[in-house]
Amino acid sequence: MSRLIVIALRMLIWLLLSADPELLNVAIGLAVSLALPLPRRVRALSPGQFWRALGDSVTALPQAYSQAARLLLHRRLEESVVHDEPARVGGRASSVLVFLDVFRITLTPFTIALGLEGGGRRYRVHELVFEEKER
Amino acid sequence: MTLLVFGMVLALLLPILVVCRRTDVWHRLAAFASVSTKVAMVMLVVSVVRDDWMVGLVGVIVLSVGNGAVMLLANLLQGVEG
Amino acid sequence: MSGALLADAPGVLAALAQGASAVLLGLGLLFWFAGSWPLLGRASYLTKLHYLGISDTLGSALMLLGLLLRFQREWPLLVLALLSLVVWNTIFGYVLAACSQPRRRS
Repeated sequence: MSRLIVIALRMLIWLLLSADPELLNVAIGLAVSLALPLPRRVRALSPGQFWRALGDSVTALPQAYSQAARLLLHRRLEESVVHDEPARVGGRASSVLVFLDVFRITLTPFTIALGLEGGGRRYRVHELVFEEKER
Repeated sequence: MTLLVFGMVLALLLPILVVCRRTDVWHRLAAFASVSTKVAMVMLVVSVVRDDWMVGLVGVIVLSVGNGAVMLLANLLQGVEG
Repeated sequence: MSGALLADAPGVLAALAQGASAVLLGLGLLFWFAGSWPLLGRASYLTKLHYLGISDTLGSALMLLGLLLRFQREWPLLVLALLSLVVWNTIFGYVLAACSQPRRRS
């Protein structure tokens, strides 16, 4: 599954970059994306997990815009806190999943991921908090 | 459209000002990252307005490779400091 | 009446797209200024990174959407720029934040 995602990503970039849906061009792109070296060892990743993480990342987009508007309207915040957020999948997650999780956390303007800890069990998250609001 | 480009260049001046003033290296790096993204965006806008495919291609490449370069620098800096 | 409306539909749609793209472009520029302004202040490094994420990722994405509405001929390039911008810049903010932390020995 991870390898399939990598190849699909390469094909997508090639097609958008060349913008030419001819058969020969598609064949060249497919050949190149198969010929480039793939990661040697990948951890298991089920399609269900992948689609769920991808869906979460996409729904984080409108959320990010609403948070950005709120952040820009309230000029006086701010205390920043660092806390831990449990990772969705414990243990040794696939790198694609970690990537999507970090993307989801960092995309929203209130939070930035600072790294993985505890052998991949939780993320350190830096968060902005309003002063006058609750909490 | 000309107005938009003017506004973008004006916004570009802000991080450049920070780079010229600030002494802390991390703040400077963040400002440089901002400059890199903004310059690439200006290139993209100009290319689209002038209907020039090649300049746009260069803009996209600058957008991705420039950010990657600053990322490498950040890693290097952490190695030097830590 | 409705026939005239239907016949005029492409023009109306085009005008609507022009207006929407102008709004998006202006909003993106506003995000750029608002997100870059705190760089000049004395906020902490991570707070500045939060604002930088607003201006560079979200504002630029808005601008690209506006361009996409206005110039449909170059859509592959713009879509590629949008994708690489959002993914790359977000991860980039993460890397800058993570690298600025002193490395923890666990």
